[in-house]
Amino acid sequence: MIPLATTLPEHSNDGYVAAAYIVFFAIVLIYVAIMAVRLGRVERKVEALRGEAKNEAPSARAGDTSILEDPGAPPERPGRAQEHSLTSPPRGGEQAGETV
Amino acid sequence: MRSPGLRALSISTVAAFCVSLGLVFFYAPIEAEEGFVQKIFYLHVPLAIVTLSGFVIGGLCAIAHLRTREARWDLRSYVAIHMSLIFGVGVLITGSIWAHASWGHWWVWNEPTLVSFLIIFLLYATYQPLRFAIEDPERQARYASVFAITAGAFVPLNFIAVRLSASYVHPRVLGSASNLPGSMMFTFLVSLVAMALLFATLCSYELTAKRTRIMLKARSRILGYQS
Repeated sequence: MIPLATTLPEHSNDGYVAAAYIVFFAIVLIYVAIMAVRLGRVERKVEALRGEAKNEAPSARAGDTSILEDPGAPPERPGRAQEHSLTSPPRGGEQAGETV
Repeated sequence: MRSPGLRALSISTVAAFCVSLGLVFFYAPIEAEEGFVQKIFYLHVPLAIVTLSGFVIGGLCAIAHLRTREARWDLRSYVAIHMSLIFGVGVLITGSIWAHASWGHWWVWNEPTLVSFLIIFLLYATYQPLRFAIEDPERQARYASVFAITAGAFVPLNFIAVRLSASYVHPRVLGSASNLPGSMMFTFLVSLVAMALLFATLCSYELTAKRTRIMLKARSRILGYQS
């Protein structure tokens, strides 16, 4: 059985405990920060695409910009065919489940 | 990127961590031999368990990928291993801090538990270079799955081998040698749940981000947009 202390130890290494927890939360924070930067990049691309679509839409699609409304939409679970390899994004029009 | 499931998962993770930290610092008793330093146990051990489980989950997803040939399983396998590697860095650092506080050394090379974890970590550290060295996506996914299965099988084998090892100074938590008092065990289990939730949340976040990027690239191609 593990013995328990009845009083606080005189030489407690509080610094080590603090360091361990700080390191752990720092790792998580760094990861979240990297993800946030990537997300910002994605948002900028969405905005650029939206602008592109607005320019092209009147002539080519008669105002149909529905293909750009997806990134913020809740159904984030694409069909099986929409989840592709990490290095090869799907080619437009080749995948089942695409709206276009 | 908005997903009700992800939001609920994130909120429950934060709540679980608040409860866990509260229990660690205000409820769990102080151990007599190690003193306050033993509080690292509630961070380091759940982190190690979740990391090793993540590697095994990556292997299981890889099996599903090879059986079904569905790319989503490959993506899940990749994300589980990727996240486990990040958590693995945390395990090594917090373990070293705890070792220095308890044993006076940052690393003990004749301790099987430490060395075996380092071997597993280094083994998985080769996963991404191996994966991204292959250009053909089909082959890349297939080879990565084979690697994930082989390495995933190595994790429990390694665990058993370390258990059978005679000499160790690293404390045992799981098994008959564990004699944690009720309050400590309860705190440990809550910490384990919190860590598992954090892993699930970050995996879910990463998966959602990857899917969004894939969809965005697809739509960029449809529009002929060059980033």
